[in-house]
Amino acid sequence: MTRTGTRATLIAAGIALGMAANATHAQTIKIGVNEPLTGAVAASGNFVVNGAKIAADEINAKGGVLGSKIELVIEDNKSNPTEAVAAAEKLIVRDKVPVMMGAWSSTYTLAVMPKLMEYKVPMLVETSSSDKITVSGNPYIFRISPTSGMEANAFAPRVGALKIRKADFLVVNNDWGKGAADVFAKMLKSKGIAIGVVATMDASAQDLNAQLSKIRSSDADTLFVTTAVEQLTLVLKQAHALGLKRQIITTGGSQSPDQLIEQAGAAANGSYHLLFFPPWFPEASPDAARAKAFVAEWRKRGFTFAGLTEGFRGYDGIHTIVAAIAKAGKAEPEAIRKALWNTTLTGLNGKIAFTKAGPAGKESGQSIPAVYVVKIDNGKVTLFR
Amino acid sequence: MDELLQHVVNALMLGGTYALLGIGLTLIFGIMRVVNFTHGELYAFGGYMIFMCTALLGLNFYVALLVAVILGVALGAAIELLLLRPMRGADIDTTMLIMIGTWIVLQNTEQMIWGGVAKSIVPPLSTEPLVLGPVSVAWLRVFVFAAAAVLIVATYALINRTRLGKAMRATFQDRDTAALMGVNVHAINTATFALGSGLAAAAGALLGTVFVVTPTMGDLAALKAFAIVILGGLGSITGATAGGFILAFVEEMGAGYVSSGYRDAMGFLLIIVVLLFRPTGLFARAERIG
Amino acid sequence: MPWLGLVFLASVPLWLRDQYFLHVLITTGIFTIAAMSLNLLLGYTGQLSLGHVAFFGIGAYASALTSLGFEVDIFGLHVVHEPWPVVIGFLVGIAVAGLCGYAIGRLSFKVRGAYFVIVTISFAEVTRLVALNWVELTQGPMALNNIPPFTLGFGTSEYTVWGKVPNYYVVLAVGAAAYLVIRRLVRSRIGRAMIALRENEPLATSLGIDVTRFLVLAAVVSAAIAGAAGGLYAHFIRIIDPDIFLFIYTVTMVIMVITGGKGTLAGPLVGGLIFGMLPVVLREFASPVAQWIIYGSLMILIVFFLPRGIVPAVHDWWTHRRGAAAVPERTRVRVENAANTRT
Repeated sequence: MTRTGTRATLIAAGIALGMAANATHAQTIKIGVNEPLTGAVAASGNFVVNGAKIAADEINAKGGVLGSKIELVIEDNKSNPTEAVAAAEKLIVRDKVPVMMGAWSSTYTLAVMPKLMEYKVPMLVETSSSDKITVSGNPYIFRISPTSGMEANAFAPRVGALKIRKADFLVVNNDWGKGAADVFAKMLKSKGIAIGVVATMDASAQDLNAQLSKIRSSDADTLFVTTAVEQLTLVLKQAHALGLKRQIITTGGSQSPDQLIEQAGAAANGSYHLLFFPPWFPEASPDAARAKAFVAEWRKRGFTFAGLTEGFRGYDGIHTIVAAIAKAGKAEPEAIRKALWNTTLTGLNGKIAFTKAGPAGKESGQSIPAVYVVKIDNGKVTLFR
Repeated sequence: MDELLQHVVNALMLGGTYALLGIGLTLIFGIMRVVNFTHGELYAFGGYMIFMCTALLGLNFYVALLVAVILGVALGAAIELLLLRPMRGADIDTTMLIMIGTWIVLQNTEQMIWGGVAKSIVPPLSTEPLVLGPVSVAWLRVFVFAAAAVLIVATYALINRTRLGKAMRATFQDRDTAALMGVNVHAINTATFALGSGLAAAAGALLGTVFVVTPTMGDLAALKAFAIVILGGLGSITGATAGGFILAFVEEMGAGYVSSGYRDAMGFLLIIVVLLFRPTGLFARAERIG
Repeated sequence: MPWLGLVFLASVPLWLRDQYFLHVLITTGIFTIAAMSLNLLLGYTGQLSLGHVAFFGIGAYASALTSLGFEVDIFGLHVVHEPWPVVIGFLVGIAVAGLCGYAIGRLSFKVRGAYFVIVTISFAEVTRLVALNWVELTQGPMALNNIPPFTLGFGTSEYTVWGKVPNYYVVLAVGAAAYLVIRRLVRSRIGRAMIALRENEPLATSLGIDVTRFLVLAAVVSAAIAGAAGGLYAHFIRIIDPDIFLFIYTVTMVIMVITGGKGTLAGPLVGGLIFGMLPVVLREFASPVAQWIIYGSLMILIVFFLPRGIVPAVHDWWTHRRGAAAVPERTRVRVENAANTRT
């Protein structure tokens, strides 16, 4: 390296490393939030954070927990696993949060998991659905979102009512979509239903005519679709344009039926959706009053109504964490972790309680949520029992 | 057989817009030798502008389409004047980095203004598809195909039949001689970038209506545009048009018959294979444009 | 002089207590190594490779799969691989990446300039899609997790690198090794030939320099070093999925090289440090979207005002102050190059 090269490097290093220490404010209990706020899945991450903020404000209005207010320390993981790890590191090391919520996508959550083991800090998983998360032997993971397997099992009783004889699958080409196709196919086969075409689509693909044309030529009567709301809108529109006449059932919980109605119009009619929170029917939720209050507050803050089907995850997540902190009696990682095993509450989705999952001695916590089925008819959402 | 016909029609419809994307970039890449990473953002910009005009300003769809294209031309000209012209003479990768920076800024500004949720545009066309026997196609797609065709023909005419076009071709062949012959090379650069950007915005406005508008919609579009330009050969409009249709066919057939997961890979594999045998693309005849 | 820098960097864990910064330094270091390898191709041979992340990812997957073990069916053959020690995996990663570099080098040096750019982008995209769809081998989007951390030694005498400080030293060691290899290459006759290529290819060819051979050599070394960086990433972050091939990582490397100063040895280091630490600084005071906007704007500004990069600009300023006696390195090499380009 030349002299100036070394000089420049030293100066750059000095600038980079010479940063002021952060100021810590005493007397608030911090909860780390690790979500994608920019990048490919920013919309969903922002919805979850909105829900979390509503929960935090609600809790603080009632005096907080253990005599202190709670403070959400929110970090953006930029829809990127490397950043998810960096965000977790910052939250734990710099902000010294005793507990975290995150990280939305299964890959980001998996990336953060070694950090949890290293620093012994528990994390509440609110959206990720990969099986790997709870079977990797990580006792610091507590998940309230279901795996696709649980979703399929919860849906199984309604299969008969929908008169399915043969099903095709069109899923997004990632862990979530493929996982869903696998477990739903298995569940259907166990009921004697045949499986037809299983097609995938790249997460950023917008033209799905090729896959839909192929599906159109199959003789199935039902199409299962698993993907996020943007791509789902495209699937419905293009299926309609191709004259695809069969019943469409969507899974995964990221469908936002209102957005589908708004953007796909008539193409959305007749479709069924598996969700974990039905904001149009707060009375269907076990804690109806609280659901109504949540929906009202969401509206009041001017958030997109369609985001409620994801925002509730942040809400339930924060409430679960705070309940655990209250039970633990102190805001420390190990105490909170132990307390989570004994935490039960009624969330917007249903009862939350953690059962053991994974290898013995190193189990993670998994709560088994309820699944709701709604149908879109003539531009309106109806509950399908 | 039915399925095959449907695939063919799908590919045709898609090919038109791919061609539009490719032509815009081949002009910029071919004439100005700029690795234009903002091409995808101009595409997204077109989508957002038509959304803004129809949803927020209540303009008629066709008027909004025109406005979106004009705004795209304007933004392109602005980028060229403010960021590229002062960098004339710099290395290709330095200019490329400026384009990357602009890409990041534009995309995140879009997210800041409009949010990450997808926006959709409702065209004044029937949502029931046009059915011709076993083939079904949405009216909107037919309109988009027609609009793209018109724009392609217009651009071809501009490049080959007008004085401006002649000046562009001259600059492409030999910049210095063109300057000596009195061509205002600076103005040609601005015009080229603006034209290319306008075409990208048009493609974005059209496809944004067919699909949905999101801040990241330009990323995949830009990648495909580069692929099309290479397939067809730098600077060749005929090449870009053909490249657009070829890519659409390969993708459609690949996804329909080979594997839907590898759909996008088909296009890129095709490029690698083509470039192995014809290093300057399928249609380029040395350094020519037109 | 560079030894001073190395000693300084080696001393950092001794006085930097903040674990978060150490973590960021490690990841910055990994991407800086990748940036150095890109610089070899971009800065010294003048070929713009925008698919460089492919080598990074291939090195990561190769190393991870070798140390995890796998079972696949290829063309009817059932292949089972038992887990091997991490060090072997790391070396396998380097070798596989280097091999791919050779293939790309041979195939794509028939094409130049813009076409080469696209071929490299296409290669990276195809690699990503293969990693995504060949689920049997790579686990596809389900991700390869529980990758063992870096372990030195084999069998009974193993030392597993837990904790940040040892990992930091591993990254520093690999970085230093990469730097030395690149420096050796660049200052040798081979390096001068590469620069001759960059400056004036037709002239160089007419003088009898075997263009393709040197470009391929540069591609192999460049890919191998990128593969090493990928291996480090796999064993430090301990989970990889096809998103590792995303274009944004190539963009990050390109930014580091060009803002730092391509064609100089210190360039990628300076660029790497600045753009590796910048997001960290921005996290402190800007909203997520604003962070990106500032990041992009800064990039534009640096390149606008210092088109050749920071290191050459600082060098010029320094020599300008000292008087015109010193000849900048790039020019010096050019002058020497003119005198002895015969190979």
